[in-house]
Amino acid sequence: MLKFIKPRRAGMMSRGKSQSRDERPTNKPDQTVTSGGSSKKQVLTPDLETNLREIKSILNNCSDVVYREFVFAQNEQLKLALIYTDGLVDNAQVSDQIMRALALEVPMSVPGQQITKARALEFIRERGLCIHQINESAQLEDIIRSILSGDTVLLVDGHATAIINKARGWEMRSITEPEAETTVRGPREAFVESLRVNTALIRRKIKSPNLKVEALRLGEVTDTDIAIIYIKGIVNEKLVAEVKSRLERIEIDGILESGYIEELIEDSPWSFFPTINHSERPDRVAAMLLEGRVAILVDGTPFVLSVPTLFVEFLQATEDYYHRFLFSSAIRLLRFLAMIITLTLPGLYIAVLAFHHELLPTALLLSIAAQHESVPYPVIIEVLLMEVTFEILREAGIRLPRPIGQAVSIVGALVIGEAAVRAGLVAAATVIVVAGTGIASFVIAYNLSASLRLLRFLIMFLSAFLGLFGLISGLAVIGIHLCTLRSFGVPYLSPLVPITGVNLTDTLIRAPWWAMFYRPRLIARQNQKRLAQGLKPSPPPSRRKG
Amino acid sequence: MLEHGKIDGKQAIFLMLSVVLPTAILTIPAGIVRTARQDAWLSVMAATLAVLLIAWLVVSLSLRFPGKTLCEYAEEILGKTLGKIVCLLYIWLFFLYAGSGAVRQFSFFLVTAMMPETPIEVFSITVVAVAAYAVRNGLEVLCRFNQLFLPVTGLLAIVFFLSTIEMKPARLLPVFDAGLLPIVKGTVMPTMLMGEIVLLAMIIPYLNKPEEAQRIAILSALFNGFVLTASTLEALLIFGPDLAAHWIFPTFNAVRVISIANFLERLESVIVAFWVLGGFVKVGVFYYVAVLGSAQCLNLKDYRPLVLPVGVILVSFSSFMHGENIVDMIYYISQIQVPFMLIVFEVGIPLLLLIIALVRGKGGQSS
Repeated sequence: MLKFIKPRRAGMMSRGKSQSRDERPTNKPDQTVTSGGSSKKQVLTPDLETNLREIKSILNNCSDVVYREFVFAQNEQLKLALIYTDGLVDNAQVSDQIMRALALEVPMSVPGQQITKARALEFIRERGLCIHQINESAQLEDIIRSILSGDTVLLVDGHATAIINKARGWEMRSITEPEAETTVRGPREAFVESLRVNTALIRRKIKSPNLKVEALRLGEVTDTDIAIIYIKGIVNEKLVAEVKSRLERIEIDGILESGYIEELIEDSPWSFFPTINHSERPDRVAAMLLEGRVAILVDGTPFVLSVPTLFVEFLQATEDYYHRFLFSSAIRLLRFLAMIITLTLPGLYIAVLAFHHELLPTALLLSIAAQHESVPYPVIIEVLLMEVTFEILREAGIRLPRPIGQAVSIVGALVIGEAAVRAGLVAAATVIVVAGTGIASFVIAYNLSASLRLLRFLIMFLSAFLGLFGLISGLAVIGIHLCTLRSFGVPYLSPLVPITGVNLTDTLIRAPWWAMFYRPRLIARQNQKRLAQGLKPSPPPSRRKG
Repeated sequence: MLEHGKIDGKQAIFLMLSVVLPTAILTIPAGIVRTARQDAWLSVMAATLAVLLIAWLVVSLSLRFPGKTLCEYAEEILGKTLGKIVCLLYIWLFFLYAGSGAVRQFSFFLVTAMMPETPIEVFSITVVAVAAYAVRNGLEVLCRFNQLFLPVTGLLAIVFFLSTIEMKPARLLPVFDAGLLPIVKGTVMPTMLMGEIVLLAMIIPYLNKPEEAQRIAILSALFNGFVLTASTLEALLIFGPDLAAHWIFPTFNAVRVISIANFLERLESVIVAFWVLGGFVKVGVFYYVAVLGSAQCLNLKDYRPLVLPVGVILVSFSSFMHGENIVDMIYYISQIQVPFMLIVFEVGIPLLLLIIALVRGKGGQSS
């Protein structure tokens, strides 16, 4: 019996046993090509009945697998069988290009000729099928996997080799606008759940023979297709090897989303900060590839991982590169400000109100003090109450069906905020601070804002205990932590720290395209130049004189 | 090697700025103005020249023993026993003493300036704990963190310009009022505080280009001298010699006088908050060299087990070895610590080591 079909929990597998690795041939790319293979594997026999029985016993109780037996048009003694999974194949192709061709149309191409059993396989392969891509295999394991992946397997009586027809076709979501990363200007297409469509979307942007798409399979049970994409010549070869080796050591029952892989290969699993970025935009991923990064595509999810990841990426939007650079730079600085607000504003508010009244202008201080007159507990409790309420509302807004969700988040916040102030539960200033923080957190990339939202609570507690000193201590610890992080060997804070002068053009500001000469130096190590010098546009000489 | 990280020249210079400036910028102006009065800024400039000599001494010693820290080449020059004694002296009486002094000064300052009712130990433990986190992660992280926040602290230079409206150049006159002697006397304290760049002796082996060490030492000494001269001048220009000598932290008080458009005023808490970041690095560097030196002295393969115990020692030293209050402490710094540190650790031992090394022909190529 095939070992890889048995469900095994990842946690139960002992890594020490070398045997468990031998049993899993799943990690080698493109197994469908007939290859020697080890003698342990089951192979087909020349007898069609035996083969069918064997496959049926493996795919026992799989009611979605279809077996279609028929005879060859040129030779009625020759039995054929088609096996495929209903719903994963293009029905029109299977019936027209395979069934119809073999059962009816072959005689037209070679009238009067009788094809012997011995020559049948060769004949069918060369003249019988109208399928654009076929493979052959004698390995039962490959055949089973092909059937379950959506291929149509043709068994020919008398031959121990099966023809695997790639006539895949299933219902899927069409390419739509990106939902998580919307833009005003820029391409309006997003990745979908199908790996092949996603690789095509990238290939359409980068038509270079150096764009490499390496295939891999992960997941003992789900057998999920993974693609590693990079541009040879730009990418650091060591990085590709590192990505591959990290992926290959994964042993897990299933991969349903790229988040699984992200957690299994990241550098600092305990960190609050994401050290692997993801995107659903083909243009963004293409830009990452052009900077020398490696993209990891997972079948079944529109979110593509890209490594190595830098901290500044989370403050950059794809659109920054499409708008004019002055505006983009201003927006980036705004995002930086929003990041600081997200992290520190509630803490600062607590620290100032609890310890440092002198920092506020007197009039403002009096008005805030008057608001706090009716509030019966310390500022930290008040802020915590509102922050937690806000987080609950936000979560409710995401989980609920969209039309209701927006209503809940907006109306709920207003009503609760307004009512809480009226009832004397919180001061109006607290509501302003919490709301401002919440809005600021929407400005930066979602995965960074998620970690900042958590760290914000740490800062709040420290500020409540030690005032501004506590706040700064918290920031120092976060700063030191950021300095320790690396993503696939690249310092997380680069090019800011350690400082790389030539790459500062694309960090908190975006320099004009004619000034961004170099790729990130620590990522694309060998091939750094991306732009010719002297591209700055200027008026023609004749005009300049006049 | 105990430390695997490498730092570049820029990071080393930044690190030396953070070693000297955070505490010196507070204590130096008042300390010198007391002895040299309105000529205090001349004292600081003279001290800068003296520090250049110290820097040259330490770097040329280090360059004779490439890849080795002070603790390692002391053993090579003096033999095992004597070398270890010198190493321990440096660790206990210089690194740990000055480090805990910095902790104490910060804690005093925070208590005085921000939160008078909080027990001082809360601050010393927090400062050491944050520094410990950086030290545990090694020199590279310490340098990067320093590089991360230093630009922010650099913004504080703007404060200098915000208070120009209160400055009166006449307060610097008359020059050389009491002759040369007070100026020379005033030179001692800034020389000792800026002389803390002898810590380079522990850090030079981890430079990615050790041949730049001479340039690094000179640049950091000059920059330190420049900033300290500027802050002394600021205190003098705003308050004049009498008032400046009266304050404990004239630089801090200089920030208090700022008031622009009824909006930018009472900035001191913000200033203190940012300046605390420098304190973390200063404590961190002393902490780091103490831990590294101890590990080398004890022939350990990893210095990380020592981080916690050394941290505890730092906190307790800071509580017991630096006097009851800030006035005591300033007295200790100017009367006891200055001659002792300067003569023994910043000039004496390095000079002795260099002479013995030359006589016994130890060390590789002389620079």
